Formats: sequence, C-alpha cells, structure tokens
Amino acid sequence: MADVVAPPYRVIPIIPALIPGSMEGLKPFVANDKINTAIGFPGELVEDWHDKAIAKMGELLSKYRSLKVYMDACVHCGACSDKCHYFIGTQDPKNMPVARQDLMRSVYRRYFTLPGKLFPKLVGARDLTKEVLDEWYSYFHQCSECRRCSVFCPYGIDTAEVTMAAREILDSIGYGQKYSNEIIGKVHRIGNNLGLPGPALRDTLEGLEEDVKDATGVDVRFPMDVKGAEVLLITPSADFFAEPHIDSLIGYAKVFHATGTSWTLSSMASEAGNFGMFIGNYDQLRQIALRIREVALELGVKRIVVGECGHAWRVAYSFWNTLTGVGDGADETDRFAQMLQKQLDHRYKQPMHICEFTWDAIERGALQFDKSKNDKHIITFHDSCNVARGSRMGDFAGGQFEIPRNIIKTVANNFYEMAPETTCEQTFCCGGGGGLLTDDLIDLRVKGALPRMEVLQQVVDEHGVNFMATICAICKAQFTKVLPIYGFDRRLVGGVHQLVSNAIILGDK
Amino acid sequence: MATIEVSGKTYETDEEGYLVNLGEWDMDVANYIATTESISMTEQHWEVINFLREYFEEYQIAPAVRVLTKAIGKKLGAEKGTSEYLYALYPYGPGKQACKIAGLPKPTGCV
Amino acid sequence: MVSTLFAILFYLATLMLVVGLLYRINTYARTPAPLKIPTTPAPTTQTGVVLRMAREVVFFESLFKANLWIWSMGWLFHASLALELARHLRYFTEPVWGWVALIQPFGMYAGLTMLIGLLGLWVRRLFVERIRYISTPSDHLMLVLLIGIALSGLTMTFVTHADVVGVKNFFISWMGFSSASLPADIILYFHLFGVASLMAIFPISKLLHAPGVFFSPSRNQTDNPREKRHIAKWASDLEN
Repeated sequence: MADVVAPPYRVIPIIPALIPGSMEGLKPFVANDKINTAIGFPGELVEDWHDKAIAKMGELLSKYRSLKVYMDACVHCGACSDKCHYFIGTQDPKNMPVARQDLMRSVYRRYFTLPGKLFPKLVGARDLTKEVLDEWYSYFHQCSECRRCSVFCPYGIDTAEVTMAAREILDSIGYGQKYSNEIIGKVHRIGNNLGLPGPALRDTLEGLEEDVKDATGVDVRFPMDVKGAEVLLITPSADFFAEPHIDSLIGYAKVFHATGTSWTLSSMASEAGNFGMFIGNYDQLRQIALRIREVALELGVKRIVVGECGHAWRVAYSFWNTLTGVGDGADETDRFAQMLQKQLDHRYKQPMHICEFTWDAIERGALQFDKSKNDKHIITFHDSCNVARGSRMGDFAGGQFEIPRNIIKTVANNFYEMAPETTCEQTFCCGGGGGLLTDDLIDLRVKGALPRMEVLQQVVDEHGVNFMATICAICKAQFTKVLPIYGFDRRLVGGVHQLVSNAIILGDK
Repeated sequence: MATIEVSGKTYETDEEGYLVNLGEWDMDVANYIATTESISMTEQHWEVINFLREYFEEYQIAPAVRVLTKAIGKKLGAEKGTSEYLYALYPYGPGKQACKIAGLPKPTGCV
Repeated sequence: MVSTLFAILFYLATLMLVVGLLYRINTYARTPAPLKIPTTPAPTTQTGVVLRMAREVVFFESLFKANLWIWSMGWLFHASLALELARHLRYFTEPVWGWVALIQPFGMYAGLTMLIGLLGLWVRRLFVERIRYISTPSDHLMLVLLIGIALSGLTMTFVTHADVVGVKNFFISWMGFSSASLPADIILYFHLFGVASLMAIFPISKLLHAPGVFFSPSRNQTDNPREKRHIAKWASDLEN
C-alpha cells in the first residue's frame, strides 16, 4: 500500500489530456465460488457465458426502460466526457462516461440493432469476446455510480444504470466482484455488511452508553430490538464500528434523547446500506430491503429513520416504497404495501432522513445548542453523490442540500462552501462509492478523489478549513484513508451529527 | 487460493493475504504477515493482537476501533487508549492491519 | 424515370421513418421503468416535469451546464433545423399556411446558421482529442450528410435558384398518389437523396435521441417516491 501516491493537483483545473490504457487491466478481486453460490450466482465463469450474457442483456433491455433508451439515445456529443472524477484522476479515456457506456453500447449495437449487425465497423459495434468481457469487468468497476454525468447529459443518460446492468450481467455468468458479493452474503447471513453479530452489537452499544455517560453525565440510551418503540433507526453498520462514523451515531442518540423520542435499533436489520443497488440486481436489492419491512412489522414501529449513509438514503428514499412499501400512497388494493403503511404514522415522512428529523426538531425549537463547542472546527460540507443526485430531503427539490447545511449552521459558527461547480447537484464523488471501497482498488480511489481534494485544498488555504462534514459512511471511510495520502489529517472528515453531538445541550431528562 | 509458507508450515490465505482458517494462526505466521506489512512486532504490537484475538473469541468479530481503544486504555493505561496510539502501531488502520496480523477475517463494509 | 425513382425513394423513406419511429416509441413506452430514478433535484409535480422536459428540449438546459461550445453549436444547429423544416412545409401544403409564409425570410438564413452549427460541431469532433476518441465513423458520416443537405439547399437558395414550383408540384402530386415530374437539377437530386437517407436511418441510428429524451426516466419522472408507491408489473408479481 505504501507505493500509492496522490496525483498532483492540476495547476488550472483544465480537462486532462488522454492517457489511453492508463487503467487498463485494473481488476478488483473476483468473487470466488463460495461467495457467489451463497447469494445464488454461478460460482465461476460459466461455459456458455457468451450466450448467457447476451440473453441476460436482452432480458434487462426488456425490463428497464432506462437501459433501453440510454443504449439508443447517445449521440456522442461529449458533454459528459470531462465530468467523471475517475476520468479526471486517471486520464484513461475509457473512464469518460460516454466511453464507459460504449463498452456496453458497442455490444448492444452488434446484437440488438440492424446497422450493428450489418456494418459493425461503421457504428462501432463489437462482438462480445472474452477481451471485451474482461474490459467490462475492469471499467464497470471503475464507476462509482455517482450520476454526475447524468446531470450534464442532454438526454439524462445515467452511466450508473449502465454500470448496474453490466454488473448484473457479469454476476449472472459467475463473474462478479468479491467485495460487493461478500458483503451481500454477510448482510443476509448476519444482518449487516460488517458481519457484526447481535451480541457484539449489544456490547458496542452498551460501551457507547458508558462513554456518553462519562462525557456528559447524562444517561443517553442506545436501545436495540425494543418492541413498540416509536422510531426504528436504520443506519450503516460502519456507524457501530468505524471512526469517525461512530461519533455521528452518538449524535443521533443524543437527538433522540433530547427530543424525548422512543427509538430502537434492530439486530436483524442492523444495516442501512444495500449493495444490491451497486450490483444492479433487483432481487438482491429487494431481499436486503425487505429485512427492514419485516423488522418494522415485528417491532410495530410508527416511524423509520435512516442514518448518515449516502446510497442507503437513495435506496430508502427512492426505492423503499417500491420494494417494501415503506412510504405512503399505496393503492387501496395493494395489500402488500398497505399492511405496513397502515402501521406507519403518516404525519411524518416515511422513511425520514436523520437530518430531516433533527432539522424538524430544531425548527420546532425542541433542541438547544452551544455553538461555541464547535468553534475549534472550521467546517465545509461535502455533498454525497447519492443523496445529492438520487434523493431528496424535506418538501422541496434541493432540500437535500439545504437541510444538512442548515443543521451545520445551527450547531457551529464557522462554515465555508467549496467551489460551487463541485457541490450540490454538481458534487464530486468521494472516489470510493458504488462498491469500490476496497483495498484492491486503492490506487483508483486515490486518483478518483483528486477533484474533491483540489477544491478542499482551496478552502483549507483560504479559510483554514479543518473539518469536512458529510453524511455518508462510504465518504467517511474513503476520506479517512485518502486524506493522508493528499497530505491532510485523516480526522479532517466527520459526520454532520458528530457536530450536532458536540454542541447539543442535553439537560437532565 | 494463495498460500504462505513459514518455517515449513503452509497457511492458506485469501487474495488479500488474510488467513482462511483462523485455527491455523500462530505467532510465526503473525510475524511473517507483519513483515509483509512493513511492521516489526514489538511488545506493544502484541498487546493489541492479543486483545483482538480475545475479543474475537467471544464475539466472532473484531472490535470497533472505539472498543479497542477503550479496552487498551483500561488494560494498559489511559495514554495508550487513543486512536493515535493505535495508528502509530498500525499505520494502515488498526481495524484492518491488526486484524490481518491477528489472523482474523477482514472487516468489510464501509469501513 | 428519375422522377419515379425519387417518388419511390420518398415513399420508402417515409414508410421507414414512420413505421420505424412508431415501433421504437412503442418499445420505449412498453418497457417498464421499475424504479424511481430521476436525476435530483427533480420536479415534485407532473407540471414541473413538463416544464423540465420543455427546458431540456427547447433550451438544452443540461447541455448548457455541461459545455458552452457543444451547447451553442448544437442549439444553433437544432433551432435552425427546426426553422428549416417549418419553412419547407410550403412544399407540402396548398395553400401555404399563414405562419409558414411568415417565417420564409428567416428560414432562408437558417440554412446558413445550421451550417455554422454543424461545422462547429464537426470541428469539435475532429480536433478535440476526447471527442475524436469517442467518435465512430457513423458519427462523422452523420455530420457529413447533414452538411451535404445544408450546402445543397443553400446552393439552390442563393446560387442556382432551383425550380421550387416544380418541386412543390412533384411532392403535392405524389402525396395524392398521382405522378408528376421532378425538375432536372443535379443539386436538387443530391439534396433530396440526402434527406431521404436521413429519414430512412432515423429510426435505426443515434437520431433516436429525439424521441428518446422524452422517455428518459432520469428526466421524465416525478420526484415523489415517498408520497406515492411506484411499482412495475414484473416487480409487483414478485410480491405474490
């Protein structure tokens, strides 16, 4: 690991020259037989992978309008070509969103369009060879599904959808990625991505109760598996385990305490993350999400709140209602969804982001803060891609940008924005999203962080920023690892509720 | 499957060099893995490894960094109960690097 | 003889365009969109979606955010093309509609601006390394075809002055399935052949971006997943 170095900042952030093949052959570990079969995929690359892959592609084209339209609509205008952080960091032309899509589009054209069948060279159509398949494996694991390209595409083509389809095809022929598939196995088997069993979780939570008592003198509870609690908190398992994640978990608990909310965690659904989305597999996405439904029904909770996790919030906000019925507005005849929706309290949004919960409490005047407790921090905010471009908070478009910032400004005095072309809907991915947060891709992760590090350096130089707040477990883990390689302190990254935790006045309820 | 060989004994590892069979772990292989991670094991390093193994024995998972720092602090004195101390021993992160040397499975997920 | 060939060519091209597009649009419309995937921030109401789509289609809003060169040249080309198409309606209507007559003077110059836009796009495709890298031969040919159509049209407007009355008579007659002859004019032949080719390849090429944009889930979905359950048929079947 020692040989991983950060690429130099660009003097002027211009579009880099191409270095073809610079990331060629980069290949995260392939899932082994045991990992694959545990989640129902073929153990290894199947004999008839070619025919299976083309058949799967045909199936996906008939099931997903997004894929069908995106395969046809691209005109190669190049609007997206300089928008991907991995392209900027690696200069590999195949990391341009359009070129990444073309890895699949070329095959689509060959097998599913008339011109591609007749004149493959003319329209850039290719046979699906083993080389092409390997190229898919490599470059579809150099996309973090962050959707930045889709903001700029005149047709809204979202490379994330193409990457998901490609990974789904790869998994269906036994050529999946170790990191994501191993984690999916753990979530089914143990209840969370980390593999943290119930007793260990309970021990951790009890330890936290002691810590908070020592630090504040107040008995803040971290309840688990409590039937009849009002709120079920679903949070990434990293919040139980990693630094700085755990500080935000303490923040959530303090908010619940201070607002007098009865809440609980679940040992069975002890994971907000859903890597089913990363591999584009609807069944996995659904099965993982269904655990939350089951637990909600079992515990009889009235509200479901989601902790600081980017892709989990996208799944929760955008997909949970579809997948599990956690939400509102199901048809009267929709018994599956109604069963849960009748139980939930629809005076509140279902599901609700912890930032929405906290901001709502702040607006009601239910929380008091001592802002000076955060004075040692000069803060900026990194918008996480899945929250920014795949979800919303509050009642209006763009609430996902305002609400976390409003919270920060309520609990701290020093806040500065990074360059506007790198925040809100145009935010750059941290470089570790979409199932790439694994050590075997550390080189890619470091390079992919370049655009964010450049603008972070600006606010560090101009304003002395020493804390980059974010609301995503992947962002936190990725930056903790990557910041030192760019010469920053790893503790420069932290959660929004970490700041809330610092400043909140608990009283003696 | 990859393997490593230390003083005539063969150990099965995964692609990343983590032991596959936790029962096979011994001090020889721990020392060997440490050298591949550019760490020379000292008394302080072993204190962490031993705690990790004890914790794993009980909970079937490595402890959270916070649990680890607290336990080390309680056992070995408050000045050692900080993540700085642990990072100084295991620069690539006490979670993963120390687990690897201790023969425990790698913590996965967003960590 | 040439006239009849052109007539057949245009019947075929029209057939391919109409049938091909209907087939494609039908496929898009029937393919389910199982998940809510609007690129957010997205409109929370149906009216908002219509406005977003209108801004996208009329002003190329996303492209404007992306790159001013592609946006300005692309917009210039498309706006000019729209004007040209409208202007050309006079060859297919009798009497000519009032608004079509009204835009004739602008339409004359739209050919020029269309050419400028196309050349601007082609220059980018040829000389910007990234764009050259992603271009297939068909991308270049498509531009060549459009430039050819524009150039031949401009030549007939400003230099050779084609027999437009004859052209109109040709189209109006064949539209009523009665024969008429096309003025013998090599530039006109070139122009018409180019247009017929464009019509024929439309439904099997990247020109599908035109209908495609309206079906793009990241642009045409309402951001209301918490308020209303969105479920595709094949997905709800999993629940039973």
